[in-house]
Amino acid sequence: MSETEPKTRPSHVLEDPSANVVARVYANAFLNAAGEAGQAEALEEFTSFVDDVLRPNPEFARLLTTEVTGREEKLGLIDRVVAPTGSERFTNFLRVLARHERLELLPLILGETWLEHEKRAGRQRVIVRTAAALDEKRLDGIRERLAAALPFEPILIPEVDETLVGGLVVQIGDTVHDGSLRTRIRDLKDRLRERYLNEIQSGRDRFSHPEGN
Amino acid sequence: MKFKADEIASVIQKEIEDFKGQIETAEVGRVVEVGDGIARAVGLSSAMAGEMVEFSNGTNGLCFNMEENSVGIIILGDYLNIQEGDEIKTTGQLLSVPVGEAMIGRVIDPLGNPLDGKGPIVTSERRPVETPAPGVADRQPVKEPLQTGIKAVDAMTPIGRGQRELIIGDRKTGKTAVALDTIINQKGGDVICIYVACGQRSASVAQVVEALEANGAMDYSIVISATASDPAPLQYIAPYAGAAIAEYFMYQGKHTLCVYDDLTKQAQAYRQLSLLMRRPPGREAYPGDVFYCHSRLLERAAKLNAELGGGSMTALPIIETLEGEVSAYIPTNVISITDGQIYLEPDLFFAGVRPAINVGISVSRVGGNAQTKAMKKVAGSLRLDLAAFRELEAFAQLGTELDAATQRQLDRGYRMVELLKQPQYEPLHFADQVISIYAGTKGYFDTVPVNQVARAEKEMLQFMADEKSEVRNAIIESKELSSETEDALKAALAEFRDRFKAEATGGLVGETAETA
Repeated sequence: MSETEPKTRPSHVLEDPSANVVARVYANAFLNAAGEAGQAEALEEFTSFVDDVLRPNPEFARLLTTEVTGREEKLGLIDRVVAPTGSERFTNFLRVLARHERLELLPLILGETWLEHEKRAGRQRVIVRTAAALDEKRLDGIRERLAAALPFEPILIPEVDETLVGGLVVQIGDTVHDGSLRTRIRDLKDRLRERYLNEIQSGRDRFSHPEGN
Repeated sequence: MKFKADEIASVIQKEIEDFKGQIETAEVGRVVEVGDGIARAVGLSSAMAGEMVEFSNGTNGLCFNMEENSVGIIILGDYLNIQEGDEIKTTGQLLSVPVGEAMIGRVIDPLGNPLDGKGPIVTSERRPVETPAPGVADRQPVKEPLQTGIKAVDAMTPIGRGQRELIIGDRKTGKTAVALDTIINQKGGDVICIYVACGQRSASVAQVVEALEANGAMDYSIVISATASDPAPLQYIAPYAGAAIAEYFMYQGKHTLCVYDDLTKQAQAYRQLSLLMRRPPGREAYPGDVFYCHSRLLERAAKLNAELGGGSMTALPIIETLEGEVSAYIPTNVISITDGQIYLEPDLFFAGVRPAINVGISVSRVGGNAQTKAMKKVAGSLRLDLAAFRELEAFAQLGTELDAATQRQLDRGYRMVELLKQPQYEPLHFADQVISIYAGTKGYFDTVPVNQVARAEKEMLQFMADEKSEVRNAIIESKELSSETEDALKAALAEFRDRFKAEATGGLVGETAETA
């Protein structure tokens, strides 16, 4: 899983906001358990489990998350499959999840763990939306400018949205800084329409017949 | 008579030259759920309660529920075009409506958009829809009368400027008619009237507008329309928008009258929103804060003190009851907030007593101070007399033999009931009301047959206006009934009685002959 690719599960319209909060709790706990030194290693193991084990073996993933498999069976599965190869910490983490019946949140927890890890390292994701794809040089320039302006190191996630027409939209967390041409044109349109209406309305007496119709 | 194209072109050119694009910063979120007039969104981490948000299709919303992980938003507009996954932007503003002189004479929706096809409303000022009510120190007691032009109301349940008088009754008992007559009676006066239609049928609203126009009342009125087909959020905010528009005039030292027609429907819209937002239901499934929903609205009606300009906002909320059930949740709530109520009864309505005001249980808690001295004098004993009459009437129906005094009291009562009837859209000047009620209570109509009291009254008022205008003018100028004026009034009424008697006898003889 590359750094720039969002690690959260694909944004689904039925995404449950409270599931995210639960996932964040487990993510924090996982990182805290790993300690400051072991964070990168623990995260690598976690990512590899999702990418290399669960993704190529969807049946196994289904077996782990489905409610048909009982809690004890899941624990047994983890003991037989993960325990021999995985680290003890990660196996224990999976066992805790299985015991709490939260295994289906695994991809969500991984996403939150990445975000939390980056935050702890003083980095944060910044979505940069443009009308056309940007080359590396341009992105580097933007990264430098943002790093100078922001209190953290930005991880740029470039996105292309042709409807922007031109300019740049930068999103940090929930805050969007919109410098796109689309917004400016819409702004100008609104102002022109308002001025136009005002002008017509205020000039109506001038245009109308002084003695009425 | 032509638009000067180059003039407008130069305005546009200047606007383009001066245009400086600024980077727009906003908080964003995503819609995760959308339903009947509401949406739930994630993100929007710094949104505030009551803040306006904008959906990606341009529709506005209002932050209603702030939950741990999501924000509940009520959608003020077309919610059918909003989809899950749409982006929402905060605006950093509270919901506001345009206010100003330009609103007068217009029909608008609760957001201030014109609905009457008379072009845009050009006003630069706006006012938040929700504002705190004036405090104790900002007010003064209600002392000035607000004439409704309805005899039964002005005499027995007088309304003062800044008062909140509830109009309550079953469906089709003439609640709106009382409010409309009050608006029409403000013609030529200094009161700006606002009629808020909330959850009404569009046809009824159109009728109201037509009635106001036909009676020349739109010149000083504003109609805010959230009909039954509008989404619940608009019905919910409509009364607040009306109050905001009235407040603008009130704080300028002007007098305003706000009719909320009706608050039952607003409470139902609020219940719908609250239940969709999963707020816990209470009695009759209304949320716990439905009382506050009405109290904060009606508290905004006030008579401001002299430092603030002495303006006023009189509120006439309307509540519809089911089968006369005034002890239901919403009616009791609103009765306890208001300064009195005008109770309309279907039995009276169908018996032909219109307005169908039950004078026994209609009260005005503060309006007495606001009554003119003349009216106070003539109407003093009216309520008691009528109450005594109702008891006697019930007794008389048993067919008992009655003594002459009781029979006289009964006859007087029948004539008073007849006198208090009043056709719709015909409000009376207060001087005419004083003369009518004086004539009735002093027995000047005792000789008139009951079915001719209305005609006698009409002719008497005509006679007073044409031939005895000095008496009428004296009442209008002094607003009281001094002993000289009273003597002159007695003489005039006696003169009329003699004249009417002759005519009536002639008429009666003719009628008897025909019927026989």
